[in-house]
Amino acid sequence: MIKNLGILVLLIAVCALTAWQEPRFWSAYNVGNTLSWTGLHGLLALGTAVVILTGGIDLSVGSVAGLAGVMLPWTIVRLGWPPALALPAVLVGAVGIGVIHGLLITRLRLQPFLVTLCGLLVCRGLARYVTGDATIGFREADAPLRAIATATPFSVAVPGLDAPIAIPIAFLWLIAFALVLAIFLRRTIGGRSLFALGKNEAAARMSGVATSTWTVVAYAVSAGVAGFVGALLALDVNSVQPSTHAQWYELYAIAAAVLGGCSLRGGELSVIGVVLGAAILRVLYNAINILAIPTQLEFAVVGIVILVGAMIDEGLRRLTSR
Amino acid sequence: MHRLVRGALGAFVIAFGATSCGDRSGDAIRVALITNGSSDFWAIAKAGVHEAERTAGVSCDFHMPAEANAEAQQRLIETVVARGARALAISPLDSDNQVPMLDEAAKALHLVCVDSDAPRSKRLAYVGTDNVAAGRAAGSLLKDVLPAGGRIMLFVGRMDAQNAKERTQGIREAIAGSAIEILDVRTDLGDPAKAKANVQDTLAAHPDIAGLVGLWSYDGPAILSAVEEAGRAGKVAIVTFDEEDAVLAGIERGVIAGTIVQDPWRFGHDAVLLMARLARGEASGVPASGILDVPVRTIRKADVAAFRADLRQKLGR
Repeated sequence: MIKNLGILVLLIAVCALTAWQEPRFWSAYNVGNTLSWTGLHGLLALGTAVVILTGGIDLSVGSVAGLAGVMLPWTIVRLGWPPALALPAVLVGAVGIGVIHGLLITRLRLQPFLVTLCGLLVCRGLARYVTGDATIGFREADAPLRAIATATPFSVAVPGLDAPIAIPIAFLWLIAFALVLAIFLRRTIGGRSLFALGKNEAAARMSGVATSTWTVVAYAVSAGVAGFVGALLALDVNSVQPSTHAQWYELYAIAAAVLGGCSLRGGELSVIGVVLGAAILRVLYNAINILAIPTQLEFAVVGIVILVGAMIDEGLRRLTSR
Repeated sequence: MHRLVRGALGAFVIAFGATSCGDRSGDAIRVALITNGSSDFWAIAKAGVHEAERTAGVSCDFHMPAEANAEAQQRLIETVVARGARALAISPLDSDNQVPMLDEAAKALHLVCVDSDAPRSKRLAYVGTDNVAAGRAAGSLLKDVLPAGGRIMLFVGRMDAQNAKERTQGIREAIAGSAIEILDVRTDLGDPAKAKANVQDTLAAHPDIAGLVGLWSYDGPAILSAVEEAGRAGKVAIVTFDEEDAVLAGIERGVIAGTIVQDPWRFGHDAVLLMARLARGEASGVPASGILDVPVRTIRKADVAAFRADLRQKLGR
C-alpha cells in the first residue's frame, strides 16, 4: 500500500483543490460522470498492466478498442445480427487478436513493441476499411444493449453531496474486473507465474513455468479487455468514427499503469495502484473543464501533474527505504 | 523507430487510404480528390464524385488520408502527380502553411480547393461553403430558440481548423447585440468520448447553461447523449452542424433545435465537373471570383424527413 501512497495523496489533493475552487466538482452528477470515465479507462489500464507485468508492452489497445467499437454496430446495424450474438463475437475476435500477438511474440520471437505496433496499424486500417470510413452508430434500435454501457444500477448516498450518486455500470465493470484480477494474481498459480515470468523469464522457464502460454494469456487479456471497452465506448457515445474511435487510448492506459506502480521492466503490478492511476487522469481532465482552465493548456497541466506524482512517489520510496 | 512508424503508415495509406473510384482507368481523363480526413461527410461527397464521373466522363481517384495532417496530404499529392492526374481537388488541413506545397502541385496539374480554401495559393477555384455564413445560420437559429438570451458553450475538435474559426466568427457576428453570451470553446482533438466528457463537465459546472453548440459533426451526438443522460433534454438549446444519424433523430425528438448542413454531395460533384472542364481546357466553368459557393441549409424538425430521404437516396442505402 505504501507504494500507492504518493498517487493516493495526489488524487486527494487534486480533488480537494478542485472542490475548493469550484464546489460543483463535488456534485453527484459530476462524481458519477467521473466514475464512469474512470471505469472505462481503468479497465484499459488494468488490461495493459497485465502485459506490462510480463515485461512486454501493448500498443494496440486503442486500435483494438476502435475495431471492436466499429464491429459491434456494424454487425448489428449493417448485418442485422442479434446483439446477443454480435457482442460475444466481437469479444472473441478481440481475444483472438491478443492470441495472435502472443503467438507472434513467443513462437516467432518478435519484439512486443513491433508486434503490437503492427497490431495498432492493422486494426485501425481494418476498422476504416470495413466501414469505408463512414461514421456508424446504433440508431435507436438497441436500447437494451446500450444499458451495459450507460445503466446506473443503484445509487449511493454520500454525506455532503447534493444528491445520491447514481453509480455508473462502467465503474462496476472496473470493480468486478479489478477484484477478479487481484484474486487471480495473488491467489492462483497462474498469477504467480505471471509475476515470475516478468521478474526473470529465463529463471521462470527453468523452474517449470509455462512462460510462453502465460505470455499469450497476458496479451489475450489485454486485447479482450480493450475489445470490451471499445464496445462500451461505442454504446456510450453512440457515434463511432472508425478513424478516431479510442485513438491513442493505449497511451493513457500505459500512463495509468506506470503511474500506478508498474515497472516497464516487468514483474510489478498493483491493481489498486493502476485503478488510482486511471482515476487521477480522469479527475484531471474533469477538473480542467470544471475550473475553466483554457482548453489549450490541458496536456501541459496533465503532464505536469503526472511528473509531480512521480516525484512524490519516488520521494516517499526513498524515505521509507531508509 | 520513427522511420518504421512512418514507413508502415505510408504503406497503409497506399494500401487502404486510396480507393480508385473509376472503372475506366484506360484512356479517360484522370482527376483526383484529397480529403482532410475520413468521415460520413466525405462518404456523401464520394457519392457526388461518382455521379459526376459518369456525367463528365472522367475517372477520379478519391483519397482519404489515414492521418489528418499536412504530411499525409503531401504524400498523397505526390502519389496523385505520379499517377498522372490532370487535375486535383484538395481540402487543405492547414491552408496558411500549405501554400508552398499547393503551389508546387499547381505547377503539375489544375488545382482547386474543396471544402476548405487556401486563397493565398495558386489554386484556380474554391468549391465549398462559406463557413462564416454557416456560423451566422447557427447564430440566428440560437437567437430564434433563445429569445431571452443566456450563456452558451461551444464544442469543437480543434480551434486551429479554418472552419472552426470561421463558424465561431459567424456565430459571434449573428449574436452580437443579443443577450446571448459565449462562455468558452472547449476542444476534444477529434475524440467523441472526450467531446461527451466536455459536455458533461459543462453541465456540471454551469447548471444555468442555456445553449450548447457542436461545431463538428460528432460533437452533435456527444452533446445529445450527455444532455439526455443528465435529464436536461428540452431545458437546454442545442444547435449542431452536419447530419449524423443521431443528430437527425435528436431533432425529430425535439431535443436538438436544428442542425446546419453543408451539401457535401455537391462539393464532390461540382469539384469533379469543374476539374473535368479545366482538364479539357474550358475556362468557362471558373467564376471570376474563383469561388463556387455551395450554400448551407438549416434543418429543423419539419425538414428532417425529406432531408433524410434525399440523403439515403444519394448514399444508395
